[in-house]
Amino acid sequence: MQQIFSQLGINWSLLLSQAVNFALLLIVLRIFVYTPLIKLLHDRRVRIEDGLAKADEADRRLHEVDLMGKEALKRAENEAVALLKRTEDRAKELEARLIGEIKKKEDEEAAAVAARLRAQEEASRRETEKEAAALVRRAIIRTVELSPEAVDDALIARAVKEAGTSA
Amino acid sequence: MLSVSLPAETIFYIGTWPVTNAVFMASLVVIFLVVLAIVLNKKMRMVPNGMQNLTEVVIEGSLGLMDDVLGSRARSEKYFPLVFTIFIFILVSNWLGLVPGVTSVTVGHGTGAIPLLRSPASDLNFTLAISLIAVTMVNVIASSVMGLRHRASVFVNLKSPLGFYVGILELISEFARIISFTFRLFGNVFAGEVLLAVMALLVPYVVPLPFMGLEVFVGFIQAFIFGMLTLVFIALATTPHEGEEVGH
Repeated sequence: MQQIFSQLGINWSLLLSQAVNFALLLIVLRIFVYTPLIKLLHDRRVRIEDGLAKADEADRRLHEVDLMGKEALKRAENEAVALLKRTEDRAKELEARLIGEIKKKEDEEAAAVAARLRAQEEASRRETEKEAAALVRRAIIRTVELSPEAVDDALIARAVKEAGTSA
Repeated sequence: MLSVSLPAETIFYIGTWPVTNAVFMASLVVIFLVVLAIVLNKKMRMVPNGMQNLTEVVIEGSLGLMDDVLGSRARSEKYFPLVFTIFIFILVSNWLGLVPGVTSVTVGHGTGAIPLLRSPASDLNFTLAISLIAVTMVNVIASSVMGLRHRASVFVNLKSPLGFYVGILELISEFARIISFTFRLFGNVFAGEVLLAVMALLVPYVVPLPFMGLEVFVGFIQAFIFGMLTLVFIALATTPHEGEEVGH
């Protein structure tokens, strides 16, 4: 056995040297490469998964915000239309009321003018009556001065009356 | 003059401790890989570039391959250091041993001149050391996962005569594994070295080139087989057989 080993070059010290070489390499690679690199791969996987989840969430939120914005715009439009309509209605109402008021005022003014006219007419008629009476009196006086006979007060009054109606 | 020596040649002594050209070369491989590992570690970033990218691809690929054999990523990561170190150590040893001119540097004079460097796997000490470590680690891992009692019962089974016989066979097969590991790798690499030396002697130009390519391939395949077999032995030893329960 010993002879076979020595012929093959197998030697305890060389065997141990190679075993130590391997063990050294295993330890160093484990410390400097395997452990940190596998941890790094884990961490990166976690971060990528995290990032993807966040991106999905962001997309979802954006979509929601978009919908909300559209909804708000629609609502605002509706409100604006309603507001316009209400304003128009009120304007019409106001117009109608103003027109009514103006008409009423016009009527009142017309009535006042008519009343004034009537009063003026009355006054002028009275004046005319007075003037007519004076005229008749003067005429009568003149007549009386010319022919004082047969002049009656009652006749004068009737004449005056007739003159009033004809005037 | 072509001289082929089966044992690695001793190039110097540290005290009384012999250092052969194969051990020297293996140490250089270790130093090379350690420097690479430290540089990689210092430049390790969340956003990878250059060498880190390559390393990540290799490690991810290896882990994926191990997942197929072991069945879960957690187990793969647990046994990854042993299996991958075996693979990378043998691979880099084989490939650096193929670099043209590596065996041309010699020490000594005249007929006593011996190459300073020699492909580590062309020396049985290297292959035997790794085989012993691999088989020992398989048993250590199996004992820690399945329980020492369970592991021992694989080899010493007193429940039935048939079981006892199977136990003996298992014990023999463990040693057969060591021997097949050792001589498969040694045989391939040593034969490759001899083949290349012979071809270079017969036709120095062009003709050895395809054989060089072949040896690059063999160097990779042998490293891969060594790692893969270690992985399969771990998988076999840590998977309960039918009707068995996992002990602790």
